[in-house]
Amino acid sequence: MTTRESALLGIRTSSDYFLSTFIFGVMFGIAAAAIGIEGWEAMLMSASSFTASGQFAALEFWQAPLPLGTIALSVFLVSTRNLLLGMAMTHHFDGHSLRRRIVWLFLLNDPGVVNSFRQEAEVDRLGYVTGYGVSMMTSWLCSTFIGLKTAHLFAALDLGAVDFAGPLVMATMMMLFFKGSKSPPTPWIVSGGVALILYELGSANYLILLGSVTAGMVTAIVQVRRAYG
Amino acid sequence: MVDSHATLVAIAMMALIVYLTRMTGYFIGLQLRHIRGIQPVLEALPGCAFMAILAPAVRQGSLSEIVAMASVIFIMWRSNNVVVATGVGMAILLFGEPYLDAH
Repeated sequence: MTTRESALLGIRTSSDYFLSTFIFGVMFGIAAAAIGIEGWEAMLMSASSFTASGQFAALEFWQAPLPLGTIALSVFLVSTRNLLLGMAMTHHFDGHSLRRRIVWLFLLNDPGVVNSFRQEAEVDRLGYVTGYGVSMMTSWLCSTFIGLKTAHLFAALDLGAVDFAGPLVMATMMMLFFKGSKSPPTPWIVSGGVALILYELGSANYLILLGSVTAGMVTAIVQVRRAYG
Repeated sequence: MVDSHATLVAIAMMALIVYLTRMTGYFIGLQLRHIRGIQPVLEALPGCAFMAILAPAVRQGSLSEIVAMASVIFIMWRSNNVVVATGVGMAILLFGEPYLDAH
């Protein structure tokens, strides 16, 4: 399958997450308008960063004077999973020029990576993830715009209840991963267990992420070593 | 009121940080790919990151959030339908909160 065909396949199969991204985009637009960010600034942020969790994290600190260091740190911490998404795609973006890979990595996105593992071997993964990313970006920009334009309608509503929507969407991705994986889920179970222990110990969020991913990685290494004898 | 110059600096900084996280992981992976058996380890990592976020979120969740999460997992397990799973989960969050979290 050519890169173009794979990209189109990515766009075609992205409808599920197009909708959930749309909901987050509308919420982001509403939240941005509520704290006084200009419409064009919010649109620029969505177009250049393309990260729901990072943008919501930044909004938490959006007040004059802007605490740039705090914003940078919080955006980095919530974006660290991108490091892992990129590492997971190491063996799947071969056959493309380095320049293309560098440019197209801008559109690396969670659901695109998760769903790319479920595709047939002949699908070009870089094309697929990029096509998926184009669709997610379209959804994200359109919905941010709609959120900004309709923010006044939601001013009186308490949207606090849907704060948990992020973990729900993440759970759908985890289930796709879980059901599509050919390896035993032990690293993920260990990772979740360690995250719970660290949470109970009162660890900071970045330590929970670091500790549980490390534990999961060590488990995966042990699993591989056993498989190789 | 945040001035426009500071806003533009913050937006540029955010874009750079996010893009670097996307690119750096891939290039770290390229440095490791020669190691025998590394591919399944690298491919397990995103799931570990999801679990690191999900497990504490559920642990500190209210009853309506836990019910919503259980519903999403059940629907995904049975049907793989992301739209239905997310829709049901969101509906429980929005409409179930007054009933489930009242006590």
